[in-house]
Order: sequence, then C-alpha cells, then structure tokens
Amino acid sequence: MVQTIEIQNVKKSYKKRGSKERIEAVKGISFSVKKGEIVGLLGPNGAGKTTLIKMMCGLLVPDCGDVFINGINIQKNRLKALQHISVVLEGNRNLYWRLTVKENLEYFAGNRGFSKKQIQEKMDELLEAFSLKEKENEMVNSLSRGMQQKVAICVALLANTDVIFLDEPTLGLDIETNYEIRELLKKIAKEEEKTIIISTHDMPVVQEVCERVIIVNHGRVVADDKVENLMQLFESKAYSFTLQGPLSVKQQRLLEEQFIVDISTNEAGQTVLTVNIQKAEDFYKIINILEKENTPIERIDRTTVDFEEVFLNIVKGVKASEMAQSI
Amino acid sequence: MKWLNLFRVNIKRELILLKRYLPNTISMVLTFYFIFLGMFLGIQVVGNPETAEVNVQYAIVNYIFWYMAMSVMNGIGFTVQSEVQLGTLEQIYMSPLGAWRIFLSRIISTTITDGLMIIAMLFVSMWTASTWLNLDIISILPALIFTLISMFGVSFMIAGMAIIYKQIGSFLQVSQFLLLGLTFVPVSLFPLLELAPVMKGVDMVRQVMIHGYALGDFTWMDFTSLIINAIVYFALGIWVYLRCERNAMEKGVLGQH
Repeated sequence: MVQTIEIQNVKKSYKKRGSKERIEAVKGISFSVKKGEIVGLLGPNGAGKTTLIKMMCGLLVPDCGDVFINGINIQKNRLKALQHISVVLEGNRNLYWRLTVKENLEYFAGNRGFSKKQIQEKMDELLEAFSLKEKENEMVNSLSRGMQQKVAICVALLANTDVIFLDEPTLGLDIETNYEIRELLKKIAKEEEKTIIISTHDMPVVQEVCERVIIVNHGRVVADDKVENLMQLFESKAYSFTLQGPLSVKQQRLLEEQFIVDISTNEAGQTVLTVNIQKAEDFYKIINILEKENTPIERIDRTTVDFEEVFLNIVKGVKASEMAQSI
Repeated sequence: MKWLNLFRVNIKRELILLKRYLPNTISMVLTFYFIFLGMFLGIQVVGNPETAEVNVQYAIVNYIFWYMAMSVMNGIGFTVQSEVQLGTLEQIYMSPLGAWRIFLSRIISTTITDGLMIIAMLFVSMWTASTWLNLDIISILPALIFTLISMFGVSFMIAGMAIIYKQIGSFLQVSQFLLLGLTFVPVSLFPLLELAPVMKGVDMVRQVMIHGYALGDFTWMDFTSLIINAIVYFALGIWVYLRCERNAMEKGVLGQH
C-alpha cells in the first residue's frame, strides 16, 4: 500500500555561519504517514522539526535519503508532488499584508492554476466556515494575529490538497484565539479526509487534535506512537508518595541520583514525591530509601499525567532508548 | 489553462498594487511625462536646430529602452528580494506550476503596465511639444517582443543570483549604468554587440522610429539574429535560475535574508 508520506533515512546538515563546521540538523529520520492520519511533530527548539517539514514540502533538499508524497519522489519530481501539498509556515510568512483576505485567497489559489470559478465555489464556503466572511474585503495587515492565522489556514485548504503541513499554527496566539484555532483544526480533522502534519510546542493541540505523535530530538526520532499509547505508558508508571515527614538531605540526594523526581509540599504541609518508575524493582528501591530513615508513607497514588509531562520525559531521555528500539 | 489562470491572478495583483500605491503610480506617470517633455523641449532649445528632430528621437528611443531594460532585467531580482523581505517567497515556491512561471507572469504584467504608461505619456508629451515621432507599431512590435524575451532571460539570471546571495542591490545599481551605456551605443559601431542581449532589438527599433524603416527593410539575417538571441538568452536565463534555485534549496537559504 502506498503511504501518503514516506520518509526514508533523510539527513540534512547546514554550514555554520562564518566557519567551515557543519551542524547536523536531521540525522537519518524515517517514518511513514497513512492517508487521513493527523500527526503531531514535536521536539524542543532546534530539534530539526522545521527542517523536516521543509524537506517534506520540497523547500529543502536533503543531503541524503528520500521523501515520497503519494508515491512521488519530491526531490526528483518536485512540481508533481506539490500538487498534493499545501503548507502554513511558521509566523507571518504566508500572506500579503497589503492585499485583502479575498485577494490573498484568490492569488494563492490562482498561482496553483485554479480558475476563477473553481476558486469562488470553495472560497465562499471556507470564508463562512472560518467566520471570515465579514472580513473578506479587509486588508490582512488590519487583522489580528489570530485572524491572519485563520486566513493562512484557509489559503492552505483552498488549495484542496491531500496533505497539509502546519508549522506552529498556534504560536504567539492568545488563549482565546488558540482555542479557536484548535477547534478549527479539530473540525478540519473530523470533516475533511486530509493527511495533516502539525509541528507544534502546544501540547493541548497535540492532545486534542493529533492521533499520533512523532517526537524529534537532536535530529532523530525518539518516539513515534499514538498519543493515547504514550499517555498510558507514562500514566501507568507515574506514582506519587505522600509522606508524613520531610525528606532528609541524604534521601533527597539518593532519590535525585537514581530517578527523575519532583518533590513538593501539599496543602496539608506533607511532602509529596512524584516519580516515574521504569522497573518494578525501582518501586522497592524508593521504599527502601524512605524506610532507612523511618519516613512514614501516608499514601501511594498512581498519578495522572498530561501530554506535556509525557513529552518532557521523552525529551529528557527517560524513555528515549526504549522508544527508539520499539520504532 | 492553468498557466492562464496563474497569469490572470498575477496581472490582477499588479493592477491592485498600482491602485493601492496610487501616489507612487501617479509620480511614476508624471516622471515619464516630464522626462519626455524635457527631452522634446530641451534638445530643441539647447541643441543644433537642424539636427534637433533626429537628436530628440534618438534620445527618447534610447531612454525608453534603457528604462525598459533596467526595469525588466532587474525586475525578477527585485521581486525575489521583496518576497524574501515580506517572508512570502517560500509560499510562492509551493506552487505546483513552479516559482519561475509566477515570476515570469509578474514581469510580463509589470512590462505591460509600464509599457502602457510609457506609450500614453509619450503621446501626451508629443502632443504638448507638438513634435511627433515615427511610431510604426507594426514594424516596432516584433523587434520589441523578441528584445523583451531576451531581457527576461537576463532578468532570470540576475534573479538566480538574488535567490542565493539576496543582497544584490549594489550590483543592480551598477548594472543600470552598464545598461545605460549599452543601449545608447549603435550596433553598427561594434558589430559584436549583436551577441549581447537586447542590443540587436534596440538597434532595429531605433531604425524604425528614427529612420522610418518598415518591416520589409530588414534582412532575414536581422530577424534570425534577433530571434536566436531571444531564444538563447531566455533558455539560458531559465536554466541558470533553476540551477541557482536548486543550489539555494540544497544550502537551505531559500527564504532567508
């Protein structure tokens, strides 16, 4: 079966400015995405996400490896592959500020070869769906950042491609607009059978919109799984120990040396130790450390985690090696 | 058909921007008018009255060609630079019809609008000065079209440089003076100049407008040289541009300042 997106061992390095040294931004990444999948591409700053997106869009040529879009090799047949792709790039780089909303939509669709009639039919529908009808004759520079982002997504949808790349679609938006864009993305995901790749730092977007997540760090894939699987994996291993007394300096040191722990105090003034347990024996090691100084344990709970914690744990390397093997 | 749609939106964009930046457009129109008028009246007052008419025609034809050559040859390079500054260059590159076709449509649109403004102002200034140039459009048009095609080729070569190096403003300024020199030199003085872009076409238009040549007065060698020049420079321009584009994508500098 032909995958909608297939990436085979792509690598990319850049020359460092003012020196002969090269920086490896992407170090041999492979994955594939099925038709209709909505994938979150995550990673800390400088992890290689934007480089990866640009290689998938044909804006960057990889040093080696191949990118296929609907079976078309984008390096060898770029223009043909572009018929299947549209992209909303990071920041304010998608629209002409001195053109109106409608003029921007018409212009970019026309640049893809659409006729006036084809554009008009879909444009009105999209403007209605994105609540932009009233703003259609306003210049883009007079719109809020959130509105501009909506217009940019609208431009990408008007292209009517199978694959849409969204690079940081909620970056720099206020809470309300962020929520609005998130709802919009959910709606697109539900109603249109598109393959969507969202590169983001915004965990609620990943949790609410994406089915699958690929986490990139230092130019490599460190996790690739369904969002719910990753959540379950970490949920089942995160425990909180509520203690009656404080921890000694020695106990704290021992715990921090062996585990990634979070030590806090609850409203009742009790010490709460939150820790991700990797193996069953880790659980007994913690109990031992506490027992040695007779620190009474009041409760042990399995904690709920949000996706931000899952992401941080993966990026910190807690599960990195285990994950990499399972991909 | 897709190309026509692409051309349609680019010419529409050009017209919208001319209207949106109306003060700029008006000042451009007035500049043409005053320059033409200055040439008509100035040369008649200062120059030798016996040769004044020929001198005026020569100066105006050369000025128009210098302006067109400058505007067309630097046009795509400026467009690339401005797209980089606006941050929209990468979106242009997402068109499945190819960025070069978008830039070609843009330069054709600009050439048409500039050309219409120049022709209008030329007639207004001829009427004001009561001096009429020999404007045999049918004889001028073939030479003009092929000259423009070779100019587009050079424009693509310059744009290729712009896509990699971005800061080519100073080069563009120097090239204006180089063009000024070239367009004022008659090919008959240096026959090898026929191999340079634009020169053959400028020379032929000059013959029509100043010496009253008709199409039939040119030899088949003239037309062959003109057409080959246009095809070679246009094809070379596109090839150089596509090579530079690939290079920029390999280096990762496509949308960077």
